[in-house]
Parts: sequence; structure tokens; C-alpha cells
Amino acid sequence: MISEPNASTTQAGQATLPTRRAPVPIWLIILLFLLLYWGMVYFDQRSGWFDERVYFPYHSYSQLEQWQPATGAPNMVQQGRAVYNKPTCVACHQADGNGLPGQNPPLAGSEWVNEKAPGRVIRIALNGLSGPITVKGLPFNGAMVPWKDVLSDEEIAAVLTYVRQNKEWGNNAPEVTPEQVKAVRAKIKDRSTPFSPDELKQIPPTD
Amino acid sequence: MNLGPLIFLAAFFGLAWSWFGMVLTPQIQIGRLQQTNTVPAGATYPVGRPGLARQGLAVYRANGCAYCHSQQVVQTGTVCDVVLTDAGTNHAGLLVALRKLRPALSEAEDEQLMTGLPKTIRERLTKDEADPMVKTLTSAGAKATTWIVPVGPDIARGWGTRRTVAEDFLFDYPVMPGSQRVGPDLANVGLRLPDAKWQLRHLYAPRSEVKGSTMPPYRFLFEKRRIEHTRSSDALSLPSDLAPEAGFEILPKPEAVALVAYLASLRADAPLFVAPLSVAEPVTTSTNNAATNQTTAASSGATNAPAK
Repeated sequence: MISEPNASTTQAGQATLPTRRAPVPIWLIILLFLLLYWGMVYFDQRSGWFDERVYFPYHSYSQLEQWQPATGAPNMVQQGRAVYNKPTCVACHQADGNGLPGQNPPLAGSEWVNEKAPGRVIRIALNGLSGPITVKGLPFNGAMVPWKDVLSDEEIAAVLTYVRQNKEWGNNAPEVTPEQVKAVRAKIKDRSTPFSPDELKQIPPTD
Repeated sequence: MNLGPLIFLAAFFGLAWSWFGMVLTPQIQIGRLQQTNTVPAGATYPVGRPGLARQGLAVYRANGCAYCHSQQVVQTGTVCDVVLTDAGTNHAGLLVALRKLRPALSEAEDEQLMTGLPKTIRERLTKDEADPMVKTLTSAGAKATTWIVPVGPDIARGWGTRRTVAEDFLFDYPVMPGSQRVGPDLANVGLRLPDAKWQLRHLYAPRSEVKGSTMPPYRFLFEKRRIEHTRSSDALSLPSDLAPEAGFEILPKPEAVALVAYLASLRADAPLFVAPLSVAEPVTTSTNNAATNQTTAASSGATNAPAK
């Protein structure tokens, strides 16, 4: 800082106001420290460590997690809708489940989807599909990509449940559990190529 | 004494500090905010306002509504209710559990608690108190949940069911949270006052609807028109001292209609991860319109308490 106790003139000789120095009163220093302390307490209480997800009255992310409403059992259909629209299936089979005529077969009302036992659809979802297939009387000859490296057992079970139980699409088949997907995944773990529809027909659906 | 560099540095650091604090930090925190999902239903939130409501936002802005009305609900805390949803089969065991939770109750009252479910067993507890109680009930074979209820003076007034968060304004430009409460908070006005006709009459003549209101009338958002053949169904039905002379009617201009549509789109009730809140399960379990159902289900109770 500038330490000229009585600078009545500068080097240039111009007159300036005389500066006087008074000591800072002790109460002001105390007040400033009290304010600083209050500020720290306020930050500690309300900042949530500057996590953008933490709003007052919650003080931390972990506290926020504790306060979430109990969800009960996870809702497979809702979870499945999220997976379907991730986007995964929706890209080809479309949001209404009708696919694209001549290119991608429909899921809505499809006899493949509505099979009682889910063995075949799980295989299709895991390893994909290639080759000529007839769905709802219409021929398709495309290729479906495998999802086994992208989606977990739970996700595949959820999305298949969503598709199979989607009443608006006219589907009504039993749900698929993650255990079923896990079992099928273990059976075909050495296979890396997609299934063909003819091959799938050889496999009993309950397998 | 040349103070130029010092003044420059002081101004520079002063401005830089405020820029860091008021521009950069918020930008890092919420600059990339995106749509989120409600918890636990998983519906997308927020969905943009409908087109008319967006025009209404411009009217809201142009008329300076934000100078007198805030749109931020303040929440001061969260409490838990213990709700019994299913009595199960072990009624004797459940009775014992219930008596543990409500020692003051007589046996007959306990019996009554087990009918007409879901029923709130205990209210206004902390989470640490409520969770063991739920466990006590579930171990007796019943189904019970911890119901999360945000509390605060604003919520008590019905101005919202939870605090306002940044996501609520995601699709609004400019964001008008307001800072003054000359009038009531409007964050939840779409749920509090859903009647569009009431809103129009209130805009035309606030004191005819709310006694002692200090809100100025916005009559320039309306027009007086001669009734040519029959009265328009959109015409305001006003009390006789405000009604126009015979043969005329008061009609809202498009601005007023848009403003009311905007007000109807204001609601502070979506349960989000950042603002936990228990809401009643949607009654319909149809898969595809769960997203739209969610909001209606959440609106079923202004206080958000479960059915008692």
C-alpha cells in the first residue's frame, strides 16, 4: 500500500488532499470475523458442496438419496419403455411398434413376440436375427443387430416385458424375468453370430 | 501518487470475481440442464409448454406480471408420514404392531385403522423415525410405506407441493422467477385456480373476484363488442355493476387467452429426484399415457396427502 502519511504534494508538485490514517476499530474487525463465520456456516448448511442436484432443505447428495420415495418393486414395463426408447428398438421397430413395411418387421401383434414362452425372443434380442422371416403374413429379409453386449439381463427382460405386455399394440404375453434372460445368455454364450428364423424354429420356445 | 494500476486491478478483480460467481459458476452448475424424469414414475419432465402458453409467457413478460408475482415455492423441510396400504392376513400381529406405533389408541380405534386403506398411521415424522415404523408394520405381514411430504409456509398455502427447482424453468425464456410478492406466488396457479373463466374475469376486474385485491385491472386485454346475433360463449359473465350496457359483451383478446393458458401451465407438483415427494400412484396403468397421467395423478390432492 501507499505509505505517505502526509502527502500534501506529489512529485509533480500538484496539491492533493492530505490523507490521515485512523486505526480500524476493533468492533469492526470482530464483526467481520463474525460475518465470515456466519458465511461459512451458511455455506456448509446450504451449499450441498455445490452439487447442482442438491437444493435446500437437503444438505448433501447422500441425504437426497435417502429421501427418495420408496418405489417398491421396480416397474418392468416402465423400465422397459425407457430402454425401448433409449433409443434401441425404437430406431427400427418405431415408437408404435409397427416397424417399417418391407424393411423392419412389426412387434405389435407379432406372433413371434406373443409366443407364450420367451426363449426365442430372448435369443433374438441377445444375438440378433438375420435371414428371411414372415411376420403377420408379410415377408421380411433384414438383419437385426445383437444387443447382448449393450443391454444387461435386467434391461433385456424389461424391454421384452414392455413389448410383450403392450396392450396398445395388441400384445399380451407373459412377462420376461432377468433370470430367464440370464439362463438363455449362459446357454448361447459361445455363439457370436445372429440367429436365423429357421434355426429358431428348431429350438423349443420353452428352452 | 499514481493510483491508476491499483484502481484498474481492484475493478478488474471485482468484476472478474462477480463474473466467476454469478455467470461462470451457475453456468457450470446448471448450464447444461436437461429434461429429467419424475421419480418413481419415470415420466419425462418438463415437457415444453403448449404453443398458446408460450405466447402467454410473452404476455406475462410484457405486462410485467413478474414485478409483483414470484414463481418460486420455498420449502423449509421434509417430513414423513407412515401409511398403511395393505393390512395383510395377520391381523393379530398387525394389531400388536399398530399398538406399538399408536399407544394412545384404543383397540376399537386400531381396528378402524385397518379398514378403508390406505390410511395414515403416523404423521410428521423424521425419516429416521418413520422407516423403523414401516419395518414394524411390514414384519407383521402388512404393507406400509413412508410417505414423503415437503413442508414450508408456501406449501401450507397451497402455492406448490414441493420447492421450485431449476428444471421447472427449463423451456422458459426469459426465466421470470420474480422477487416480489405483492401478489401471491404463481408457481402452482394452474393447479390452485384451474378455472379459465375465473382467470379471465379476475384479469378484467380483480376486485370482483378477490376482495381487497391490489392487482390493477387489465382491461386492455379485453374488448367490448356489440352483440350481433347471439351472445358469444367466450364473453365474460360479469356482475351487474361491471357488465357493459345492454347489447354489448366483453370478450378476451388473444393476449388474455394466451396469458390464461400460460397461467394454467404453471404447476409445481412433479416429483423429481432433486425434490423428493410421494404422490399417489396413477389410477390407470395404461402404458403409453403414463407420462400424461403422472401429472394429473400428482394433482389429485393439493396437499399431496394420501387419501385418509
